[in-house]
Amino acid sequence: MPIRIDRALVGKEYPAFVVTAERGKIKAFARAIGDLNQNYVDDDIGGASAWGDIIAPPTFAITFRDETADAAALLRDLGVDIGRVLHGEQEFEIHRQIRPGETFTCRTKVVDIQDKTGKSGPMALVTRETVIVDRGGEVVGTLRHVTVVRL
Amino acid sequence: MKYAKVYGEDVKVGDAIPPLVKGPIAQIQLTRYAGASGDFNPIHQDAEFARAAGMGGVFAHGMLSMGFVAQSVTDWLGAGTVRKLGVRFSALVRLKDVITCTGRVLGTSEKNGERLVELELWAENQRGEKVVTGRATAALQSRSA
Repeated sequence: MPIRIDRALVGKEYPAFVVTAERGKIKAFARAIGDLNQNYVDDDIGGASAWGDIIAPPTFAITFRDETADAAALLRDLGVDIGRVLHGEQEFEIHRQIRPGETFTCRTKVVDIQDKTGKSGPMALVTRETVIVDRGGEVVGTLRHVTVVRL
Repeated sequence: MKYAKVYGEDVKVGDAIPPLVKGPIAQIQLTRYAGASGDFNPIHQDAEFARAAGMGGVFAHGMLSMGFVAQSVTDWLGAGTVRKLGVRFSALVRLKDVITCTGRVLGTSEKNGERLVELELWAENQRGEKVVTGRATAALQSRSA
């Protein structure tokens, strides 16, 4: 039976969650990519930089997730198993650099659902947007995440 | 030349991003990336699960490849220069793949005393197949600033 993605999901907002950019996590993330840029992994270099500390690599905000929420919430909303989803596209807007110890509030919503026929058959492209706001209310970054659901 | 300071005046349309070669991709790197990113989808760890899902075996997180692409930009232009980065994951990256990230400058402009550099980016595997394509905007200081 073909899977149908509920179009009513467009506009759905997930509960806001709070994250702290931890020093060790920034470094571990850079090292996992194999990116040993000193501005990410060396506290002395970071401290002497214009930012006054190490900064996070451009894609670090992908680690921001709601640890208290059910990780399968989106999959359940989509009505699919994790084996049917692929990461199709990803975008980061970076308004300022993320430094260790900073706390952010993240808000995610579903902004678009499109049907498409790909090489492997019918699929749905589900776009979510996450806005990352600092304690002062400044938007530091926006993520757009396109999930491909193989139908 | 790695991490040399690059100023806005140093970059012009058509310049190539120095190729960054990553890999060969090993399972341990995918496990490490899972831990560092929090993405524990078993499709990147468990070959049996990945085959049962119709994917023919384990493949890398798209975000790991995106991290490589971001590194190709920051190795050239410096940490903290990326203002926007968007990619499409066009083919799967498999174990043992060697990924080369490069790109070129599409345009430059001035805004608020910074030089904005528009980049076309891509990453390809050892067979020359594009696995990631995308765009980025980087902001560079002026030499006179």
